[in-house]
Amino acid sequence: MATATQIQKAYIDYVLSNGESPKSVYVFTKRLKIAEEEFYLHFGSFTSIEKSFWADAVSTVVSSIRQQEVWPSFSAREKVLSFFYGFTEYLLRHRSFAVHTLRQHMRGLSAPPVLDDAKPVFEAFAESVIAEGLESGELAERRFFSKRYKDALWVQFLFIMRFWANDTSAAFSKTDEAIEKGITVTFDLFQHSPLDNLLDYGKFLSRNGRFV
Amino acid sequence: MKEQKSIPTSKTQRSAKFVKTGLQVGGNYIKYYSKKLFNPDLTRDGLNEDNAADIYASLSELKGSALKVAQMLSMDKNILPRAYVNKFTQSQYNAPPLSGPLVVRTFTRHFGKSPEQIYDRFDIRSTHAASIGQVHRAELNGKTLAVKIQYPGVGDSISSDLKLVKPFAFRLLGMSEKELNVYMQEVEERLLEETDYELEVRRSQQFSQACKHLDHVVFPTYYPELSGPRVITMDWLEGVHLKEFLQTNPSQELRDRIGQALWDFYNFQQHELRAVHADPHPGNFLITPDGKLGIIDFGCIKEMPGEFYRPFFSLILTDVLQNKQLTLQAFRELEMILPDDTAAEVDFYYEAYREMIGLFAKPYATAEFDFSDQQFFEKLYSYGERISKMPEFKQARGVKHFIYVNRTNFGLYTILHDLRARVKTSRYRPVLTITDQK
Repeated sequence: MATATQIQKAYIDYVLSNGESPKSVYVFTKRLKIAEEEFYLHFGSFTSIEKSFWADAVSTVVSSIRQQEVWPSFSAREKVLSFFYGFTEYLLRHRSFAVHTLRQHMRGLSAPPVLDDAKPVFEAFAESVIAEGLESGELAERRFFSKRYKDALWVQFLFIMRFWANDTSAAFSKTDEAIEKGITVTFDLFQHSPLDNLLDYGKFLSRNGRFV
Repeated sequence: MKEQKSIPTSKTQRSAKFVKTGLQVGGNYIKYYSKKLFNPDLTRDGLNEDNAADIYASLSELKGSALKVAQMLSMDKNILPRAYVNKFTQSQYNAPPLSGPLVVRTFTRHFGKSPEQIYDRFDIRSTHAASIGQVHRAELNGKTLAVKIQYPGVGDSISSDLKLVKPFAFRLLGMSEKELNVYMQEVEERLLEETDYELEVRRSQQFSQACKHLDHVVFPTYYPELSGPRVITMDWLEGVHLKEFLQTNPSQELRDRIGQALWDFYNFQQHELRAVHADPHPGNFLITPDGKLGIIDFGCIKEMPGEFYRPFFSLILTDVLQNKQLTLQAFRELEMILPDDTAAEVDFYYEAYREMIGLFAKPYATAEFDFSDQQFFEKLYSYGERISKMPEFKQARGVKHFIYVNRTNFGLYTILHDLRARVKTSRYRPVLTITDQK
């Protein structure tokens, strides 16, 4: 019996050697010398293999960065930074395959469907970090908005992936910069800032419009 | 993070800064011409003053390489007034810090291990900023170490800063593009070398080995196996910077000793090694608790080729300056006097440069020199200010090597002045060997 990991590995190998997905599940399983139903036992389609690759990547990185000694001393900002550095580091080993799956779907600004399964895993991580940040006072609690912080981080995730896929700099050092600067800006917005005062002022004016 | 907010960091922001200055300078011209309409006798002095004030105000807000370039170009043109020098030297002290995770990333990238796995103890928060990086304290096998980590993208930002500063420098210094390019290239080369940490480690080892016999000078040990393209590991030197040292009211004897160590260090390099630590920035020196001079940064090294060294130092060492023909010959070799100059121009530049070299050579003229001499420095500064107002000096002159050699020696004089040190200038004098003679 082939395991999910073995099938995934064989699929990645096939894609990397041929530059495209197999023509059909039948062709693929025949090559692998397994029964077709064995494949369907683990995956519904080739796309679901790709989706599970991304979801696995996110959860592997999240659990490995949590084991760092310095982890508890990191602020929310640093935890998110640590994730992205860890993630791009991890993907380095699988870059060709990762870029291949992204390229197939990366049109326009919407999220590539291959990241569908990775999204909830990442959001769970982001939510837990944001919750810690809100609790410690590092991040600003804002009605409506603080629930959307995780969405902003997901947008960063997509942006960084796109940047990384197109990055041609040595050792992808440009991506490092994109991460450092992008996350800094995002977290600056999450913190107490003139934005809060502006909102507060707006609220005040709308409530007291008759005096204006 | 606080400091970072006050520094325009992105390219757009910095461009905006330059644009703003450009506008102000433009505005000053408008002011000048509209005043001139009513008062035809108005000189350009007021305009130059207005411009200088705006330009320097703007430059002092810029950090990083743009500032360095501007600083060096103006230093080459004339000797900067003291107030500006102070502004410039402050600038290197603050820079945006790297996040903890990026520090970890830099290590895993290069060593495949996190800093905690490499060192027994590693302080994830940096203790202070270095010019293009930051310094962390670490421990290994009972030794305290200083780990210097470079900011990412510094190399790129140098090149883009230089592109930014270029059109601005044409205006500011009134140079033509062709003239300026020679100097720009020299500066870019040195600045890019500074970003190569592997080269810095090699040079640090080489120079600290060559200079280890000098009295009262100490160097940290470098660890190449714990260093890489963006990381340098060296011993942690205990000590205080010059400013704090002077605040402790050190005795004349101690100030003399530190001053002598500086003099020996620089002149040994210039005249024996013909390559010199070209960044005499106060942040690169420490005064150790036992009263020695610690030298901690070899990022910027200027090598002096014979065709520059010989004519330049022959002017200082020998009686050449008394002989007009020989002096003119040296000035021509150094491109301070150009082939197309008219007889009147030759005379003018001869007088002006002779005065400059004469001032520069003064500490060498006697066996001992007291750098607390206020008069000497006032002459130096006033010469610089005078020169900066002369239209003849709008054109850049002199070979490119002057930029760093002037910066080094002028920087050295300034530090010695701050120390109010009495130095035996007879030590490590310029050496002209037989091969240097024509």
